Amino acid sequence: MGYDRELIRAGERPEPGGWIAVSPKLATARRLVAGAVIGVLSVVVMVGLAFTPMPWLALVALLVGVGIISWSWWLIGRQVAATAYSERTDDLVVRSGILFHRTVLVPYGRMQLVDVTSGPVDRRFGIASVQLHTAAATTDATIPGVPAEDAARLRDHLAALGEARSAGL
Amino acid sequence: MSGLSTEPRRLHPLTPVAQAGRVAPPAFFGLAIVAGGDLPGGPLLRALLLALMALAIVAVVAGFAYVSWTRTTFWFDDDGDLRIASGLFQRQERRVQLSRLQAVDVVQPIVARLVGLAELKPEVAGGESGKVSLAFLGEADAQELRNELLARAAGIRTGDQEAAPVAPERVLVRVPPGDLALSLLISESLIAGVLIAVVVVGVTFFTEGAAAIGLLIAVAAPILSTINGFLANYDFTVAESPDGLRLRRGLLTTRSQTVPPGRVQAVEISQPLLWRRYGWVRVRVNIAGYGGGDQAEGESSLLLPVAPVVVANAILARVLPGVEVERVPLEPVPPAARRRAWLQYPRLAAGYDDTVFVARTGRLVRKISLIPHVRTQSVRITQGPWQRSLGLASVHVDSTPGPVTVTAAHRTLEDATQMAAAQAARATAARLVAPPERWMTERMQRLVASRRPPETNLDEERAGAS
Repeated sequence: MGYDRELIRAGERPEPGGWIAVSPKLATARRLVAGAVIGVLSVVVMVGLAFTPMPWLALVALLVGVGIISWSWWLIGRQVAATAYSERTDDLVVRSGILFHRTVLVPYGRMQLVDVTSGPVDRRFGIASVQLHTAAATTDATIPGVPAEDAARLRDHLAALGEARSAGL
Repeated sequence: MSGLSTEPRRLHPLTPVAQAGRVAPPAFFGLAIVAGGDLPGGPLLRALLLALMALAIVAVVAGFAYVSWTRTTFWFDDDGDLRIASGLFQRQERRVQLSRLQAVDVVQPIVARLVGLAELKPEVAGGESGKVSLAFLGEADAQELRNELLARAAGIRTGDQEAAPVAPERVLVRVPPGDLALSLLISESLIAGVLIAVVVVGVTFFTEGAAAIGLLIAVAAPILSTINGFLANYDFTVAESPDGLRLRRGLLTTRSQTVPPGRVQAVEISQPLLWRRYGWVRVRVNIAGYGGGDQAEGESSLLLPVAPVVVANAILARVLPGVEVERVPLEPVPPAARRRAWLQYPRLAAGYDDTVFVARTGRLVRKISLIPHVRTQSVRITQGPWQRSLGLASVHVDSTPGPVTVTAAHRTLEDATQMAAAQAARATAARLVAPPERWMTERMQRLVASRRPPETNLDEERAGAS
């Protein structure tokens, strides 16, 4: 489960056990949201500052806003690149995180339900997030940014596998 | 209430009295604090006025409780599951799926006990949408219904006439009140509480701050929680019966839990610093359905508040058959872990045998956590920046919500990766041979195979059924 393995691009069928990257559209979607939120906030602050006795502070706010946006641009790119999943013979593996690495292994027989969610921005980019639930609250196995048709396939596949191997708690 | 009855039944007619009785003391003292000073007259008159006001509140509560009582019924449906209908304006009908029954609690608050009532709480896995509870039933009815639920969950269906057989029980351990009191006085939570109180008092004293409320809370909280721990776990008794482990405890509010076999998801044995000289340990468990919620729930997750190690191990052998925690080979962590966790370093270790995964942690409060492979929900590897700089990672073996977490902390990355993959594989393999959910069939076979009761190495409390 090293983090330096070669990834298979989203949508391509990997050999069993290979890592599948999430869609690069996830990065675009997240950058759009982050950019919009920070942009709006910066504009509000700038307008506010422009009417103070020190209007040049607005320029500082602009620079800070641009700084934060470019930092999150870079961070989101890395975060999305670090997120991948793997459908192995007996379990599903999801990994994520740059600063705090996390890898979660969920045996198929332990899945209680599979959630597929897709917000308005996600839908605009044709992606969805697949979340696996077990009886443990700490499992937290979410795969964001799965292409919509892949997500549906993954959900059905996981549900079938879970059904076949499930045996209570 | 006899045997299998599909007729809707009511709760005990004295239910409104018991419900109202519950609010009487808090109503009286609450009023005394809020309005006590503003009342006219001497102390006697004031007390009388307060009592009258409290009585009015109690009457209102009793009224609501009565209406709710008239609208609450329960019965067994055609599938043999328990159903409860309740609600005045918004009717709701809940179904307790007995194949998912994890444990049954019978709780008797002091007021209910005085009038011979008991609350029955079936705990069902995955019941996030609120707990199911039948409050109140007559004492005998509650016992009978509990036996019925356990028998049905075990896969036995009684005939229309006869009641479910009462499972004979054998007391395994009874915690002496003296041990309980001493263990609470030297427990880590009280010591931590006292230290915090000392700091708060010191700060307040030197700064002459007016934070009297903060002071009061800091001093009262550890005292109250210790008293509460004593009252809740007084005369803690562990008994064994064919339908599961029976746990009884409580001085004022008594609680009796029945945990069917195979319902324990994970176990933690802990030993605070000052318990060492007495050789005492505490045993906590995760049981699906109890969740990690409020304090009463936390108390429900206690398997033994305090007991000698040998006794704890013997009880452990009952909940997780075939597990000998001291025989499980443990692997220590690499020297690099010393720089990440200098205090815990010598204690950190993890390992596994055929049935369980074991993690050892804690220096001041020693802890050993066990999770059967069959109960492993998922496995996680986490690595923070500090750990990465030392080439370390932690493996978490996830269990259902509860006080027990199983973490093999600060292994080398390769070791952690290998350990997690192997544990996931063991979880999958163990499930393929997992015993059936309805345990009675298997139990019966075992009973027939050996007529004699299983041997026990607990010398104390060999007393028979009560």
